[in-house]
Amino acid sequence: MSIGSIILNFFSPILEFIAPIVPGEIFPYFFTMELFQRALIASLLVTFVAGFLGRFLMIRNLSLIGDGLAHVSFGGIAVGIVLGSAGPLWFALIFSIVAAVSIYEMQAREILTGDAAIAIFLTGMLALGLVVLRIWGGGIQADIEGYLFGNLLLIDEESFDIICFISIMALFLLNVLKSALLVTSVDPLAARVQGIPVRPLGLIFSIITASVVVSMVQVVGTLLVTALLVTPAATAHLVGTSFRSTLIWTQFFGFMSVILGLYFSAELETGSGSMIALVAALIFVLVAIVQQFARNVISPSENVN
Amino acid sequence: MLNSTIPPLKVDKLSVNRSGRSVLTDVCITINQGEFVGLVGPNGGGKTTFLLTVLGLLKSKGGIIELYGQSNLSNDVLRKVGWVSQEAANISSNIHLTVRELVQLGTLTSSNMFWRFSSEQNDRVNRAIEMAGLAEVQDSNIFHLSGGQRQRAVIARVLASQAEFILLDEPLVGIDRESRNSLLKFLDTLCHEGHKTILMISHDIAAIQQASHRMIFLEERIRYDGESSCFPDMEYLASLRGIQPLHETIHKEDKLYQITNIEDNQ
Repeated sequence: MSIGSIILNFFSPILEFIAPIVPGEIFPYFFTMELFQRALIASLLVTFVAGFLGRFLMIRNLSLIGDGLAHVSFGGIAVGIVLGSAGPLWFALIFSIVAAVSIYEMQAREILTGDAAIAIFLTGMLALGLVVLRIWGGGIQADIEGYLFGNLLLIDEESFDIICFISIMALFLLNVLKSALLVTSVDPLAARVQGIPVRPLGLIFSIITASVVVSMVQVVGTLLVTALLVTPAATAHLVGTSFRSTLIWTQFFGFMSVILGLYFSAELETGSGSMIALVAALIFVLVAIVQQFARNVISPSENVN
Repeated sequence: MLNSTIPPLKVDKLSVNRSGRSVLTDVCITINQGEFVGLVGPNGGGKTTFLLTVLGLLKSKGGIIELYGQSNLSNDVLRKVGWVSQEAANISSNIHLTVRELVQLGTLTSSNMFWRFSSEQNDRVNRAIEMAGLAEVQDSNIFHLSGGQRQRAVIARVLASQAEFILLDEPLVGIDRESRNSLLKFLDTLCHEGHKTILMISHDIAAIQQASHRMIFLEERIRYDGESSCFPDMEYLASLRGIQPLHETIHKEDKLYQITNIEDNQ
């Protein structure tokens, strides 16, 4: 029995139990039909991991690495498809890990700053993907669109297995490493003096990031990975006060984005990835406006410039 | 094994080059248990370089560095050393951390970093916060603290690590007068009641002279190493550093403002 089916068997009775009280015409299918159930569980799982990871990316000033690695994954998927592989996600995984480790090494050796290294991989690998598809791709456009913008219904049993495996591994590792990652993010040199192995931790973190991004590609699509990786963490940043509370808020905003996003995409028949990204961004704007309003009206600062 | 007669730091004929230029030459310093030493000198005089080399973050060209009698920096030795860097208090606003969360980070080592914080670690955190006088703000975001409080928070982080030898790089920069005085008092208490050994870099010669027992003036080489109360005056210091007077001294009416209430009763 694969890990995906264990998780599905565990959650599907719960989802079916909730189904009668779920609003909408199409949205309840996410709680009753197996194909949709898989999509829903994958989205929630990926969001949960992304929230955790996104918080660390934010404090390491690496918010855009998700976007970069997602484009690298697209290059990997394109190569996989052209080579006729049944599981192009494996290609994406390899490409993404190699890119993440290279970007980390470039930063650590101060060859290039973070942003520039990410930009090179992002454009280079996206271009590779487009070129190979153009030359050898033939008529496989439909699949490609699914990877670019996300298509939950493309998540078959094998992809679901990969997503579940990566998510559980990433959750486990991030949970074990969270204090160590925090101390190296706050002040890497001080952490080194404390005896914390900063560099190996950075490498492990890069590999986790690369894997999680690949697991997200089918859910929200290459172009929208950042929406789940960064937006909930950024919204939480507005309201959180401690590291702990910010983490919990990130999970809350991520969860809301996915549930509302899936609901509206089902009822309005739009793409799920784009709707999730849109909802996440709207939540950010809403929270930012409310917060500014509260700050200016309820407790106006003493020195207004 | 490490008994109290072994000096926390012994440096012999240390030379360091940075980008082809010699920054430290033949530096010999021994710091004894329980001393409060002020390290002063001009910009580019090698103060920070000295600290970074001692901590193993920069490579030396020659010389011997011994921390607690050991020349290789094992984790056991580093555990006894706490470092508050120049940037330690400038924590990125991207990171929401409470004072408590920051101080907790000090208790992490390579052997406990994968586990939950133990009660022993939490005890140390409580004690460090108490000592730094931050109990009231322990659940506040460090970003909302004053410069002086933030500086004490990063020192508390080092205290929670059980460090016995504390190296501070310019902790007095960017904090106001009252915070500075209370910080100096805090360091003095750490030294005398907490039995810590302190090596502190500062530009504020007057402040460091009041707080420390001993002062070292570093400009590539050691120009002065002795009791703080005997620290040379400006004219003598200039001649030590080879600075010639550019103008003849003309004594007009020297004004010395009477400063009342100089000692804030904190």
